[in-house]
Amino acid sequence: MLIALSVLIVFLTALAAPVLGRYVGRAAGWPLAGALLAVAAIIASASSGGVREETLAWMPTLGVELSLRLDGLSLVFALLVLVIGAVVLAYSAGYLPHGRHSSFYGLMTLFAAAMLLLVLADDVVVLFVAWEATTLCSFFLIARSGAGGREPAIRTLLVTVLGGLALLSAAVVMAVGVGSTRISTILADGIWAEDAAFTATVAALLGIAAFTKSAQFPFQAWLPDSMVAITPVSAYLHAAAMVKAGIYLLFRFSPALAGVPLWSSLLVTAGLITAALGSIAALKRHDLKELLAYSTISQLGFLVAMIGVGTPEALAAAIVHTIAHALFKSSLFLAVGVIDHTVGTRDIRKLGGVGARMPVTATITILAAASMAGIPPLLGFVSKESLLDAFWEAPGAAWLGPMLAILIAVFAVFTFAYCARLVIGAFSSTADHPDSATPLQEASPLLWLPVALPAVAGLVLGLVPGALDGLVSGAATAASGTTVDKHLSLWHGVTPALILSVLVITAGVLMAVGRRRVDAVLQPLHWPWSGLAVVDSVRAGTERLGAWVGGLTATTSPRRHLLIPILCLLGLALAAGMGGLDLAERVTGPSTALDWGLLVLVLAGVAGAVASRTRITAVVVIGVVGFAITAWFYSLGAADVAMTQLLVEILTVVVMVLLLRRLPRTFAKQTRRGAIVPALIAVGAGIATTAAVMALTGRRSLSNAGDYYVREGESETGGANIVNTILVDFRALDTLGELTVLGIAGLTIVILLRVRRELDDRQPEPPIDRSQALADALANSVFTRTLTRLVGPLTVLLSVILLLRGHQEPGGGFIAALMGGAGFALLYLAAPTDDVARLRQPFLVLIGAGVLVATVTGLLGYLNGSFLATLHLYVGSLHLTSALLFDIGVYLAVIGVVLAAMNLLGLPRTPRPPLAEDATPAPAQPTEEEVARS
Amino acid sequence: MSIAIAAGVLVAGAVYLFSRREMLRVILGFVLLSHAVNLIIIAAGGTDRRDEPIGGDLDPSLVADPLPQAFVLTAIVIAFAITIVMLVLAVTGRHDDDMSQPPQRDSEPGTQASQPTREQGGTS
Repeated sequence: MLIALSVLIVFLTALAAPVLGRYVGRAAGWPLAGALLAVAAIIASASSGGVREETLAWMPTLGVELSLRLDGLSLVFALLVLVIGAVVLAYSAGYLPHGRHSSFYGLMTLFAAAMLLLVLADDVVVLFVAWEATTLCSFFLIARSGAGGREPAIRTLLVTVLGGLALLSAAVVMAVGVGSTRISTILADGIWAEDAAFTATVAALLGIAAFTKSAQFPFQAWLPDSMVAITPVSAYLHAAAMVKAGIYLLFRFSPALAGVPLWSSLLVTAGLITAALGSIAALKRHDLKELLAYSTISQLGFLVAMIGVGTPEALAAAIVHTIAHALFKSSLFLAVGVIDHTVGTRDIRKLGGVGARMPVTATITILAAASMAGIPPLLGFVSKESLLDAFWEAPGAAWLGPMLAILIAVFAVFTFAYCARLVIGAFSSTADHPDSATPLQEASPLLWLPVALPAVAGLVLGLVPGALDGLVSGAATAASGTTVDKHLSLWHGVTPALILSVLVITAGVLMAVGRRRVDAVLQPLHWPWSGLAVVDSVRAGTERLGAWVGGLTATTSPRRHLLIPILCLLGLALAAGMGGLDLAERVTGPSTALDWGLLVLVLAGVAGAVASRTRITAVVVIGVVGFAITAWFYSLGAADVAMTQLLVEILTVVVMVLLLRRLPRTFAKQTRRGAIVPALIAVGAGIATTAAVMALTGRRSLSNAGDYYVREGESETGGANIVNTILVDFRALDTLGELTVLGIAGLTIVILLRVRRELDDRQPEPPIDRSQALADALANSVFTRTLTRLVGPLTVLLSVILLLRGHQEPGGGFIAALMGGAGFALLYLAAPTDDVARLRQPFLVLIGAGVLVATVTGLLGYLNGSFLATLHLYVGSLHLTSALLFDIGVYLAVIGVVLAAMNLLGLPRTPRPPLAEDATPAPAQPTEEEVARS
Repeated sequence: MSIAIAAGVLVAGAVYLFSRREMLRVILGFVLLSHAVNLIIIAAGGTDRRDEPIGGDLDPSLVADPLPQAFVLTAIVIAFAITIVMLVLAVTGRHDDDMSQPPQRDSEPGTQASQPTREQGGTS
């Protein structure tokens, strides 16, 4: 479990990093660097036993495991990630300003952790997750560099997320094609040779993924753009993290894809174009950091083209160059950071003469730049020789290899020239430097020591390149699929590569000498378009497209939102009907006479509801439908459902009538023409529904679930009312969810009424002759009040009985609560005045208590094994179950919602003057009517 | 057969009411639609067996399927709560429940009105 342990350690470090960054400040970089180095040591020791695989269960139902694999390739990249990460973190400890740095250290360590997981993953899903994690880390690291970082961060995210989607697609294609998500299994599968379409698809998708991540043409624009991030972030991004993820991906799938024509041509073409673009652009830069950014692009172009060649020698050369690049690039970035930090500028037009006063930094920079330029005896020379060698030997037409090698050599001349530009620009005393008056001091060793390490490593490894033989051979073996035994040496005879190298250096020196003339030629050159503008215009276009698509249905009228899905459903129904269905025989018996009678009632109710011109008619007529449906449920053997429907019907009418006075009496008049299209849609939907119900129901006997409940329901739960046992025993979790929905609906009502203004009453108080008995509400409500005195307690009693007996006979929490609600509705209606009717039940408390009781009952279920498992208790012959407790929760929640509606909707919020004064007859003052009559 | 026709009639009524201007009619449309859906769910359990699923020794060839009944029971109560929420929406705000009026810019806090409104009423 050593590999899993090392990944875990880095993730734990990432958790601790924000805390350290907060309380220790910038010095937190040291312990974090130490942790990464320790993990690097663990991984190096774990690799001694050959390839190592570890698997942890992750998503067993999907067949996805947390598989980790440490082979030669993973080892090289893991070491780069960890060691360069440690260097960058140690550097940050001296580079950052004093203060808290929790987000920086947290994100950087998380970045390292994600990269480590990425290079160790042996499962495409794990690989993808880690890949996206690096994307997100880089996004946040770029975005946190201030206001200027926002746009570059978004552009970077857009480009790299596009690549992430390509990787996801490739992962899906591979997982489906091979039947496994394990990378080692996928690579070993025979499908690569058998299925050309599969191979080409995966090659293209992986290519796109890697190109976005490694800033290859045509996705190169984000990398220079992301330069707004602070130096340590850029250094890590360019040297070991982010961009190296794409390179790793190409290496990882090389065993299957090397030699595939599409893969080779894609990689070589993109790589060469990128190398050309990057090296020429770098020659034009004045900002040292930008120059380095473009140099990264061009170096990555070399790597991608080399991997595209795909021979074992090519892959080995690419590995060497990956290592060399990580070393010199991290060192260069950090050194430029030191210069920027000390001098305050990175512009070569303003720098100059720095070299004399910062000898250590200058030496480091020159060492690293020489390595990048490919000057012996540095590692960059060894790697460039290997590259040229491998290109020269490229398979294919005889002229192809030498041509590629010569092209690379030309770009290497540019490389040499921009390295010279960097060194001369930064340190030459001949440069024009107005700021030279300011005294400069060498940076502190704490700052330059981490920078020196990779640069010196580049020198040492250049002198004894054999030290890398084991690492490179192991990685090349893993990347090529055949055993590679690479021996690196500084001098290996006079080869075409050596001759090219000599030519490159000569031409490079010439270009450096004539740099002013080169500058004069290059500076006026401009690309006809900029990659960033393309990214931005794609982004703006996508936003416009989104706005346009949204605009198609952007209306506040719910009608369109309602009718569009219905039209789509109609289309689906039509398609299904045309396609034909393979249906079983109907088993349902013929409809009874009662059915037909109820159908007539439904028809009448619907017609009435559609045709009614006033609101009150519509509300009353729709009740007809409700009662017909109630009767229908009863005749279909659903007594509980029928009772529920009946009570809901009553309560709905009550609530609607409470609200009607706030709305106009009649509906708006509508033209006949305007009704035709909706009527056609409605008839279509109706026909489709009827056809679907005919086709899709009544073609089987009792369902398996129903059969189980019917046979085992009572013995399992002790309840005879099977429907109720389903609600409170078998599917209690569903019911708990529904209670919660009800509670939310209750809360919504409360909140809506609090934040939105209620409509004013439309119907004024009817003009009543106050001298008549009709005006006395108290006297008028005497019958209802008397009745209520009798029926009210009975309703409450019935409600309790229904609750208690629900498990055995029709009833239960839902029905009982609705019955109780009906009782309160009666109380409301019987009240002579608004004030008396002002029920003040704590409805929110009831709703909350209901959900709480049900949830606590569910938790009690753990005593019997699981959430919501029913507990049984026998008291003598009495069988009590926790289902009753659960049903009480149901009861409380439902009645809470009903009471909320009654309390909030029934009454105006500002109390009217009390009735006592209103009702007092005022004989002294004749009403207007009387005056008129007399 | 009769249930299929009833469901069709209810859906047709509901869809027609959806196309009307007043929120109250749309709400009534939803009431009809939930009736239709509840009938369909019950029909999915079969309408040839109509004995109540209450008791211990039930004959599976005669008893109605209890599972759709349980679904429909809770669906009715939830539909009731949703109906109330929609009714509250209908009677609050600045206008009555005629939805063909464009919302006001300076509308109530908590109501979203910044969206550009299109000319409405084309199909009505």
